[in-house]
Amino acid sequence: MRSDGDVRRGAPLTLLVDGQAVAAFEGETIATAMLARDLLAFRLDRGGRPRGLFCNMGVCGECLVTVAHGSASPRRLRACLTPAADGMIVTTRPDERR
Amino acid sequence: MNDDARPDYDLAVVGAGPAGQAACLALPDGPRIVVIDEQLRPGGQILRQPPRAFSVRGWLEGAEYRRLKARLAAFESLESVEWLGGCSVLGAREAGEGWRLALSDGGGVREVTARRILIATGCYDMAVPLPGWTLPGAMSAGGVQAFVKSQMLAPGHRIAFAGSHPLQLLAADQLRKAGGTVAAVAFSQPFRRFVLKALGRPWTALTNLPRLMSVLLMGWRLRAAGVPIHFGRAPTAVEGRDRVQGLRLEDGAVVACDAAAFCFGFLPQSDLPRAMGLAVRPARPGGWKACHDAWMRASRPGAYVAGETTGVKGADAAAAEGALAGLAVAVDMGVLPLREAVRRAAPVRRARARALRFAALLEAVADPGPLPDRDLPADTIVCRCEDVTMGDLRAALAIGADAGGVKLATRCGMGVCQGRNCEHGLLALLGGVSTEPHGFTPRFPARPIRIGDLLAED
Amino acid sequence: MDGVDVLVIGAGLVGCAAACRLAQAGARVEILEAARPNAGASGANAGSLHFQLERRFLENGEALADQAASILGLNLLAIEEWRGLADELGPDIRVHMRGGLMVAETADEVAILERKVAREVQGGLASRMIDGDAARALAPGLSETVVAASHLEAEGHADPKALTLAFAAAAAARGVRLRQRCRVVAARPVRSGYRLTVETPDGPEDLTAPKILIAAGAWSARIGELFNLHLPLYPVALLMSATERTAPLLDPLIQHVGQRLSMKQAQAGNVLIGGGWPSRMRLDAAGRFDLDRPAEMLASSLRGNLAVAARVFPRVAELNLIRSWTGITAITADQLPLVGAIPQAPGVYVAAGGSAFTLGPTFARLLARRILDEPEERLEIFSPARFGHLNSFMGAADA
Repeated sequence: MRSDGDVRRGAPLTLLVDGQAVAAFEGETIATAMLARDLLAFRLDRGGRPRGLFCNMGVCGECLVTVAHGSASPRRLRACLTPAADGMIVTTRPDERR
Repeated sequence: MNDDARPDYDLAVVGAGPAGQAACLALPDGPRIVVIDEQLRPGGQILRQPPRAFSVRGWLEGAEYRRLKARLAAFESLESVEWLGGCSVLGAREAGEGWRLALSDGGGVREVTARRILIATGCYDMAVPLPGWTLPGAMSAGGVQAFVKSQMLAPGHRIAFAGSHPLQLLAADQLRKAGGTVAAVAFSQPFRRFVLKALGRPWTALTNLPRLMSVLLMGWRLRAAGVPIHFGRAPTAVEGRDRVQGLRLEDGAVVACDAAAFCFGFLPQSDLPRAMGLAVRPARPGGWKACHDAWMRASRPGAYVAGETTGVKGADAAAAEGALAGLAVAVDMGVLPLREAVRRAAPVRRARARALRFAALLEAVADPGPLPDRDLPADTIVCRCEDVTMGDLRAALAIGADAGGVKLATRCGMGVCQGRNCEHGLLALLGGVSTEPHGFTPRFPARPIRIGDLLAED
Repeated sequence: MDGVDVLVIGAGLVGCAAACRLAQAGARVEILEAARPNAGASGANAGSLHFQLERRFLENGEALADQAASILGLNLLAIEEWRGLADELGPDIRVHMRGGLMVAETADEVAILERKVAREVQGGLASRMIDGDAARALAPGLSETVVAASHLEAEGHADPKALTLAFAAAAAARGVRLRQRCRVVAARPVRSGYRLTVETPDGPEDLTAPKILIAAGAWSARIGELFNLHLPLYPVALLMSATERTAPLLDPLIQHVGQRLSMKQAQAGNVLIGGGWPSRMRLDAAGRFDLDRPAEMLASSLRGNLAVAARVFPRVAELNLIRSWTGITAITADQLPLVGAIPQAPGVYVAAGGSAFTLGPTFARLLARRILDEPEERLEIFSPARFGHLNSFMGAADA
């Protein structure tokens, strides 16, 4: 639900979230790109239930996702702090099984 | 650089909100200052700026923001300040003649050294466990507000606000102005409690009448826009399967929504002060506030604290404390005579005292009461990181464990957030505490960090 | 407190397990704990089950290594003990015995490893040398720099915090009273044994029992002073680290013969990294080591520890570190634990001095027999009598 009106966003870009192409704009965080696309689950908890972002300011760790970009090896980063970039590959439910 | 070499900076400021900005602005020219913040641009949560790639017309208009924006503009034009945005401080330790900070920008780790350090890391929303509050779509009101302010995003189609803090009216009003739909705003306490608490501090209420009126005005605007505002109806559960579908209130009514925003008050960011061994005291409604003297010096040499990391008190008091800390640093560096600092501090101290009176009023009005609810269903998750439930905690508490014992017995607080979302709740269940050793032991790193980055650090 | 046969000082793993074993044999037992269960090393260690000879026994010359090899008999008993614990105490203690590798990266390290395995095999342990590829087959992702490893199938890990609590619960079910926030501040011999003065939230209290077990971990030497005894235990502060939870990545316990490293993936999914890297102990107001405050993490230790872990198992570098912590344990002058009766103070027993997670349940079982005057020779090598000269001028005052 991007608000329109008095805002001009950055250049359009596309990232992949769990294999799905997600359109976003330069300046948006990964979290914004996902929520704008109605992708609410950033991880699975120990019981396998989906979890959303909670604090949106880097404190809670609920939005840690695996991010691969360019040749760099994948990192676990907070989606609320990390700017989206064109070609970024985001995985929300990699590793947690337990 | 080894510990004996000259530090990289005279002062490292952690946090670029009102306190950090004011500190830099209070310092005379000369000192080498680095300012570090997790956000890419300065402003703090109250002025969480849109990214440079955005252009936003009429961003955060309104009298309340005018002075804050002027200070931010002045700060951004300071040439003496080196800006390290998008950097998390993982830890800080005494080294040689100062402090050594480990920083991560998400792509790598570096260390900087500074003769002095000012912690001005602000506060964060207090998490309050409820059945269903871990469903995607349930978040903090501050988080919703940050999306609106800095990303021009409404994080849901219909967002219900609930809690005890009047700030949720502001967050809801901003959301609505940005084109979002507010499903409802529900206050746990009855309206008369606001009035009674305000009447309990008549002078403060009277001198802050414009502010109180502006809050009422926001409520009125929301009502006029068709938003139901409830009083005396605490949220009791988030409903939904795999995502938020409704918010249940005390009387059983369910507000249909696809996102829920909670606003029960704020906790000081205390990871760094505690990990640095600075003295802290219990804060209200929870968490730990850093102790300081009249010049915002913390309990160890070369360390200063200012703003909401010393207790939640609003932007005006934070800015005043930042200015005091800046003056203190100047005096301690020998670049400002004490007499002059005392003279400059006088109006700042008056402003701080005024702001603190209002903060006390707000704290009384917003008092969420004893949380979490001891009677929460046993399967309600309290520690979000480790899925520790109320039932798990009750079992551990029954055998007489203290906070550290509960942590070891249940994993509560052992996860990624290091207890930021659960320590206060656990301590409340334990019946409150008086000193810091009763809480969890803060550990390095203050934020999760890729091991490869730590090892590659130069 | 009338009618107590044994007062156990310390509610760590050893104290709780010993209380449990004593009570199972019919003794009336009370545990006196200054803080709470797991307050010390029992709650801070990383839960390795290592039955191969520890690296620390190998790095100070052959003579000490030979002496340390005498611990192997206990390790064999401990393997059997651990195999039974999961059945006895339930699944919460997360016993995972699916193998352990001690890796070598250089020819010198391989030579040390070979001598170590020879010693172990002689002592009856089923360890074996394997080459790097075989090690990688057991632990996919292990670095190519690993040229050989010694493998022992019985090794692994368990949840130390849960184990102490499980023993405490089992002890409680046998009528053992565990008193928390109950600090022993004085001890004197009396006709019927020893009278301990404890400080509790409700004030001081005197307790008497014929037998006392000091199982206070790093605090044990200070408790010894109350009995006018020197217990040659030296506190050491170690470092541990945990990563974010991740999918199954590492099945066996990994140790290194030439570097300080222990690494395993705990049941919850976190990779735990340790191996004996030092931390700096704080000093108390009197200038002595402060055992009540967490030791200070050393940045050099953290980097050193993580670097070895990432070199041996490179995927660790991709994981987020979420927490590093320090814990205080104690070692003895000759590195072997101190377990048994103290000759100069009849009726006083001690069990402390390291290796107390892997060996703790076994110490507890054997020491309980010893305390109840049953024949028990298997603890002889750990007997405090070996440091008897330190106490020639010390010991019990007149009753």
